[in-house]
Amino acid sequence: MSQMLSPDMTIATEAAAKVKIEVKNLNFYYGQSKALKDITLSLPERSVTAFIGPSGCGKSTLLRVFNRIYELYPKQTAEGQVLLDGQNVLDRSQDLNLLRTKIGMVFQKPTPFPMSIYENIAFGVRLYEKISKAEMDGRVEQALKRAALWNEVKDKLNASGLSLSGGQQQRLCIARTVAVKPEVILLDEPASALDPLSTAKIEELIDELQADYTIVIVTHNMQQAARVSKQTAFMYLGELVEFDKTEKIFTSPREKRTQDYITGRFG
Amino acid sequence: MAEHTVAAFDEELGQISRLISDMGDLAGSMVGGATKALLNSDNALAQRVVSDDAIMDARQRELDDRAITLIAKRQPMADDLRHVVGSIRMAGDLERIGDLAKNIAKRVGTVGLSATPRDLSHSIDAMAQLVLIQVQGVVEEYAAGDAAALAKLRNDDERIDVKYTSVFRELLTYMMEDPRNITACTHLLFCAKNLERIGDHVTNIAENAYYVLTGTQLPANRPKQDETAMSAPAA
Repeated sequence: MSQMLSPDMTIATEAAAKVKIEVKNLNFYYGQSKALKDITLSLPERSVTAFIGPSGCGKSTLLRVFNRIYELYPKQTAEGQVLLDGQNVLDRSQDLNLLRTKIGMVFQKPTPFPMSIYENIAFGVRLYEKISKAEMDGRVEQALKRAALWNEVKDKLNASGLSLSGGQQQRLCIARTVAVKPEVILLDEPASALDPLSTAKIEELIDELQADYTIVIVTHNMQQAARVSKQTAFMYLGELVEFDKTEKIFTSPREKRTQDYITGRFG
Repeated sequence: MAEHTVAAFDEELGQISRLISDMGDLAGSMVGGATKALLNSDNALAQRVVSDDAIMDARQRELDDRAITLIAKRQPMADDLRHVVGSIRMAGDLERIGDLAKNIAKRVGTVGLSATPRDLSHSIDAMAQLVLIQVQGVVEEYAAGDAAALAKLRNDDERIDVKYTSVFRELLTYMMEDPRNITACTHLLFCAKNLERIGDHVTNIAENAYYVLTGTQLPANRPKQDETAMSAPAA
C-alpha cells in the first residue's frame, strides 16, 4: 500500500498505472512574465487528477499547455516537455488538429455552438471523420448517453443547444468532447457556474468517464477536488508546491503552504 | 498556526478546543473526587461526582453540536478537519471516563457500609494515583501540542495494567482470608476495573490527540499487561 512521492513529483500508484502525460521542466511565459516555473510531474492514465491553487497560480495555464491552445494567442511561449504517451506535444512537428482530438477540453462557461443539439456533436466529428448519417446518429446518441444527457434531449435533438439549461449545456460540451474519442479530457472549472444538482451530475459523470479517459480538472472548489480526483496537485505562484494522493493532500499535506491554502489561512 | 481568513472559523475551532479542555479538567476532578470519596468513605464528595456527570454529558452534547455545525458550515480540511473529528472522538472518551468515575462514586456508600478495613483499599489508592496522572497528563500534553509526550503517555498505560493485575490478586486473597470481606472487595474490584478502563480511554485520547497533531497514526499495537483473565487465585 505504500505510495511514495519521489523527488520528481511522481506518485507511485498501487497498480503501477501507466503514465499518460509526463511534464518535464516546463516553463511558460506570457511575454516576459513567467507563469509556470520548472513544472515536473506525471499524470497516470485513466484517473482523475485535480489542480488546485489560488487565482493566478498557473493551474489553468498548465492545462492550456497540454493541448497547446495557448498558441491561439500571441507572445505566449512554453519551454520544456509535455509527453503524451512519450511523445512531446510541444514539438514543432506535432499535428495540432490531431493533438486536440486526443486531448479534449471543457471550459468554465458552457460554450455550445449556436446550432442544434445534434449538430453541436456532429460538427466536431465531421471535422475528423467521414461517416454515414446512420453512423453519425449512432455516434451522437452514444456521446449524449456517455455525457448522461440523452434521456433529457432525445426528443428534441433539433432544438438549439442554447435552449438547454446551464448544466445541460455543460454536459452537451462534455458530449461534444467525448464524441471525437479523445484520450485525455481537460476540464477547466467545469462546474463553477452550475447549481449544486448540475454540479453533482457533472461529478458523477467525471467518475464514470475515468474508466475510459485520463481526466485533468482545474477547480477552485476544494471539496470538489477531494470528491472527484485520485491525485491532487497544489500550485502557487507558478510553482508546483505539492503533488500527492488526494486523501493525503486533504487530510495531512506535507507542505505548510498547501495546508494554509486548503484550510483557508492564506495571505 | 496562522489565522484563518474567516475570523469566525478560528473562534469556532477555539470553542471546540475550550470544551475539550473543560471536559478534560472535569474528568480529572471526577476521577480524583471518586477515588478520594472511596478511600475516605466521603458520601458528600461521592454525590458531587455523580452530579458532575450530568455536566460532563451536557458538555459532550454541546461539543457534538458545535462540531457538526462547524463541519456543515466550514467544510474543514487537513489539520482543521483532524481537529474537529478528533475532538468528537476525544469527547466520547472523556464522557466515558466521567461515567466510570460516577460508577466508582456510586459504590462509595456500599463499600463504606460493609466496614472496609482501610488497608483493603490501600493498593487501589496507588492505582488511582497512576490513573489520575494519566488523565491530567493527556489533557495537558494535547493542549501543549506535545505529540512525543502523548506517544509516551499512551505506552505508560502499561503501568496501570500491571497495577490492576496486582490489585486483583490482592483482593482475591482478602476474600479468601475472610468471607466477610467479599462484599466490599467485590465492589473494590469493580472500582479497580473502572480505573483500568479509564486508563484505556486515556490511551484512546492520546492516540486521537497524536493523530490530530501529526496527521499520522501511532502503531496499532501497544504493550498490554492486564493478565487478570489468566490469573488464578493463589492457593
